[in-house]
Formats: sequence, C-alpha cells, structure tokens
Amino acid sequence: MRAAWVNGTGAVTPLGRTWRETCDALAAGRCAIAPIASFDASGFPSRHAAEIDRDFSETDRRTALALDAAREAWAAAGLDRQPPDPLQVGVFIGAESGRLPFSTLAALARAGGPGPALDHGRFSREAESRARDLDSRLVSPAVVAARLAREFGARGSVATVSLACASGAAAIVEASRAVRQGECEVALAGGVGADVDPLMLAGFGLLGALSASGMSRPFDRRRDGFVLGEGAGMVVLSCKRGVARVAGIGRTLDAWSLTAPAPDGSGSLRAMRLALAEAGLESVDVVQAHGTSTPLNDAIEARAIREALGESLPSSHVSSIKGALGHTIAAAGALGFIAAVEAVVTGTVLPTAGLAEPDRDCALPHVVGRALSRRVDSAMVNSFAFGGANCTLVVTRE
Amino acid sequence: MMSAPVAIVGAGAVSAFGIGWRGLGEAVAAGHLQPRESVLLRESHPGTFASEVSEIPAALDAGNARARKLMSRAARLAAIAMREALVDAGFAERREEIGAWMGVGASGIAMEDVPAIVSASFVDGGLSLHRLGDQGLMACNPLFTFQTLNNFSLCHGAILEGLGGPNAAFFSRGSGTAVALAEALHALREGDCDRAIAGGADTALHPVTWAELRREGFSAQGLVPGEGAAVLALARGTSSRALGLLESCTAIAGAQAGTTPVSRDLELLPQRADLVVIAPWGAPARAWLGDVAVTRYAGAAIVDVSLRLGDSLAATPALAWVAALDLLRPGERAVVLTLDVDGDLTAAVFRKESP
Repeated sequence: MRAAWVNGTGAVTPLGRTWRETCDALAAGRCAIAPIASFDASGFPSRHAAEIDRDFSETDRRTALALDAAREAWAAAGLDRQPPDPLQVGVFIGAESGRLPFSTLAALARAGGPGPALDHGRFSREAESRARDLDSRLVSPAVVAARLAREFGARGSVATVSLACASGAAAIVEASRAVRQGECEVALAGGVGADVDPLMLAGFGLLGALSASGMSRPFDRRRDGFVLGEGAGMVVLSCKRGVARVAGIGRTLDAWSLTAPAPDGSGSLRAMRLALAEAGLESVDVVQAHGTSTPLNDAIEARAIREALGESLPSSHVSSIKGALGHTIAAAGALGFIAAVEAVVTGTVLPTAGLAEPDRDCALPHVVGRALSRRVDSAMVNSFAFGGANCTLVVTRE
Repeated sequence: MMSAPVAIVGAGAVSAFGIGWRGLGEAVAAGHLQPRESVLLRESHPGTFASEVSEIPAALDAGNARARKLMSRAARLAAIAMREALVDAGFAERREEIGAWMGVGASGIAMEDVPAIVSASFVDGGLSLHRLGDQGLMACNPLFTFQTLNNFSLCHGAILEGLGGPNAAFFSRGSGTAVALAEALHALREGDCDRAIAGGADTALHPVTWAELRREGFSAQGLVPGEGAAVLALARGTSSRALGLLESCTAIAGAQAGTTPVSRDLELLPQRADLVVIAPWGAPARAWLGDVAVTRYAGAAIVDVSLRLGDSLAATPALAWVAALDLLRPGERAVVLTLDVDGDLTAAVFRKESP
C-alpha cells in the first residue's frame, strides 16, 4: 500500500496568521488566553477564551479561518506552482455546525412568542419572514469543505467529519486512508473551530467543563476545566514523499459516557496501541496530548500514555498546545497533528503553557516553559471527543 | 490484488414503515406507504405532508427515559436502528471490536430550549448577554449542547450497545452517509476491524430544518420531508448468513445545491443491475435520476423509495439501502442511487449470490 506523506501545513490561531507565526509564539511559551472581547461575557461562569482578533470578509468565520490555513498549506506543498489534477484532489474537513449570531437566534426565538414557551405556529409565521437570517452557509458543517473544494478546484472526494473535539484528527485519518488507497493523489485535510460564542459558552459552562479561573493548565494540579479557543489547522497529504509520514492510526470508542472518558482509560489506550502497532513502534519521541485541562480527562489520558509507552516513557516528551491556544474543538486534533509534524521536521518540541505544578496523577515527562530541541523520529498525537470517540495518529520522519 | 469480500449480515431501520427493515422494500414497491399530515410539524407548519415515524412502543425505544432526554430525535432513531442491526446480525460478542460509521445531520437542538434561554435573558425589553450567562443558563436543559453535537447520533447508540471499534461520524444531507458506508467498507477490507455497522439517521421534520428547506425552495419542487434511520451490519469475508455482498459505495460531489452532477460523473456509476433503487430529493432530481436509471440500466426493475419515504437527509441513502436489501433476490445485483439536496450523487452496489 502507498504511504501518506505530509507535504504542507498551515494554521490560523490567536497566536499567528500562519503556522510559522503560531509555532514561534508557542515555542516562546506565549499564551493566547484572555478575557473574552467579542461579546459581553461578564455573566458567564467562564469569561476567558483564546480569540482571533480579526474580522473576515467571508460570511462564515469557520470558512474564513479554514481558507487562510488551507492556502498556507497548499502553498507550502508547492501546489500553487504545480496544481494537481482536480479529479485527483480530495478534501476532508473536520467541522461542527456553525452558529447564527446570538442576536439573530434571539430574534428567531422571539418570533416564537414573548414567553419561555415556544409558540410553534407563531414561530413558523414569523421565522419564515426572517428567512434570510436562516442562512445555511452560517450553520451547515459541510459549507467549509464545499468552499475549500471550490477554492482549490477539487473534484475528488469531499467529506465533512463531525466528530466533536476529534473532528480534525479524524478528517486527517480519512484523508490518509484515501491517499494510501489511491482514491486521490492529493488530499487537503484538517479542522476548524470558531466556537467562542454565547451559546457554546453557555452549553459547556452548564456542564461545568469550562475553567472558572479562566486558565488552561493541562496536567497541572490547579486545572479546573478547559478554555474555548478558535482556529484552523490544515495539511496537504499525498503519496509524494514529504516532510513526515502518517505511519499509524488508531480509532476507538469508549462506549462509556457522553461527558466523561472511561475511568480506566481503556478506550484511549487502545487507540494509542493501535496507532503504535500500525507504525511498527513501541515508543515515540514526542506525544502531543489531547490535554484539555479538565481534571478527569488529563488524569486519565496521562495514565493511558504511561501504559501505552511503558518503560520507554522517560525517553519521550509530552505536551499539549491547549495550554496556549485553548480548546479549538473541531480544529484541535488538526492543530495537535501539525505540532507533532513540526516536532518531527524541526525537532522543536512545544511546551505546555500554563503548566507549572504538575499533578502527581498526571506524572509524565512534560515540556514546560519554552520549547526544547531534540532529534525526533516519531511523534504521536491524541484527540478525544465528547461522546467517547478517540483518535490517535503517529507521524514519523521515515 | 482482489479485495476481500464484505458481507451484509444484518440490518436495522426505523421509518414511517415502523421499526424493522424486512418488508420495507416490498411495502415501498407496492405503494403501501403514503405520506401523511405530519404530527411533528402540526403546530409550526400545519398541513405538511411527511413520511414520519409513528409513536415508538416503549419496549422498542432507545435506552431509558433518562438517556432519551439527552438525545436528539435523530440520535434516538439511530440508537434503535443500531440495536436492531446488531441483533439481526447476531453481533453479540466482542462488541468493543465492532466499527461504527454514521452519516449524521444537524437537526439537533430541541426548539423548546431556545426561547427558554432567550426569555430568561431579556432585561427591560432588550437582550442582555450578561443575563444570558447567568439566568439564561439556568433556564434550559443543562445538556442541550449535546443535542447540537452531530456525532452524538453515533455516540448515543455506541454507548448503549457497547461498540468500541474504529469509527467516524460524517455530516450528511445525503452523500455523507454514503461516505460513511464507503469508509466502513475500506476499514473492513483493510482489516481495521472484522465487523462494523454503517448507516445514517436524521429528521427533516425539525421546524428549523423544514423552514430552511422551504426557504431554499426544495418544498416547492416536491421535496416531501421524512425521517428515519437505517444501519447495515457488515462482516469481512463471506458468510452463510449473508443477506448480500457489498460491492462498492461511492459519493460523487455535485456542482452546487440543488443541481445535478455533470455527465462525466456518470462514468463512475456501476455498469449492470437487475434492480435499481433510487432516492431523489424531489421532482427535478427524480426526473434526472429516473432518466439515468432507465437509460443506463435498461430492463432492470426500478423502485423510487422517496415517493413513499420522502427525503430524510442523512437517513435517505441508508433507508434506500435496506429497501434494496429487502427486494434483492438470489443471483441479482442491485444499484442504489441517491441524489441529495446538495446535488451530490451516491451509488451503492449490492449483490446476492445464488444458493
């Protein structure tokens, strides 16, 4: 079977308009998390996020972020100079539903009557008169992939993976599979998340999943939840030899709970073991952890990493970029994947921002403060989702 | 190198026909199912004719009452279809190894929650985000976020049934469901798993979804809203209990919403069929797809499932598959063609070996 190679990467985050800018800021230990500026969050249980301080001409913020990141990856792969056969280009994007501006949503809800109960009849009459507000381009998860396909002239497979926090990583898995099997010669893949909005802040806040302190501190004993972030990470994969190879893939379901990982970490452990086995490895030099900064998830992931790497653990380094970028939901796995590729290509192992007092339950060879440099032949990235879906990828130099 | 065969060893479905897939194809072909006035849309869109799932008997429902409170309607239908498919296939053992791929829609959030949040967020006649973050949060189902996460149409069922294998949820208004089946087929052939389920679940009978489809002009062109879920249970290799073999599944991207694929894409369609099951979203798609079926598959029996089951977005291809499975006879080959509201064409090919 053919190999799937990484030929280019791109990212837009609160720390940079490109992956290079982002990487340099991450390497220096910078953190993007700040009080929410895009709307009045003063009444919410969590009032901090990692926001991108830019407006975009695209109607949909997700699409705008994805386009910028994809253009960077496309150019990095040299495809702007040598465009591939459109019929051989696939697009695989991790995205969740977008959201209408809350003011629009509120207006629509008010169309259903002034009280707390919905008057369906009135809603129908009034909401349809506001039909332009129900613009599917703002809501459908599929518009991002469709727009990217149009931008790059892709006429091969186009798929949208909606797997919550694991969407971006799972999209790269699907792209890798398509390249390996010759379904396409070139695959544009990645994830995008633009979820810093009142409804998501309300929803995750209700669950108690967000940090009340406004700090993202993966694996730290003071961690108290995750912080929302936004961004996009895109890669170009092909069968042509590139900078790193997708060597292993592992996907599992916890089949345990909607909100919590299996307490024994068995689901994530199986995903890591499957990915390592496919890569033919028993150890890796770097782990880019899911590391969300929630008390339960981090402890269980740390335990699973320890079990997966066993005696080789001390020779590896573990970090999570969510300390600096927050949790970008559908983009998270793709950004983590790009960080893992960076480690393999340049030997830059990014630190975990916000981690100062490692929790004993999260004992791992952490990278704190600033990035470190070392030879990295292999890196593993974890991406886990609400609902219990686990996705692990291993990338190697060869 | 020859690809390993993949057998269809079970199926499950929930539709206007009821719970179960056996007899669905026959009922559709015989014209026994007729769209009726929708109960779900009775208040918001009275007089809408739809293909709607009737009240589900408690004994056959998904999970318990507490679990169902966390489910969108699509997730609930998916969980029922997944359970039926697993039972039908006899997949009782080692469920942690079973893969699961689903096409899922975005018709999640319960309409009742939004005005409750909004109503609690008004101060002096104006919307206050400060108030939303405080009082608004207390006014709604604390788990309403989970109704908005599309992958939960996969995960609820997986949790209830103990599925732990490779997986993915693809957003779908039709073609994403074919991608899910194609991924399951690849995973089985590559050996990622030996058994898997694949299907789709959705409802077009959510007030916002239906309002959106109306706004986009689909209802005026004959789209009848439907809902349901259907799942195939698949196993690598041949099996004495196989209901058929899954030969291929392809999704071909359309040019833009509501249009049809360009003619060269038709070269990707399979060549021969004894049975052609089509699922076009409405009149223009029906004319186009019907023409393709008649000219490309001369002599084949043609069954249009959408005339009876309407268009249930992510569930449409999967319901068409199980209808085809019900109609497929030994020695026959079936091609299932769907054309969705995004202009995407899907083609799945099943074969049933002679005894």
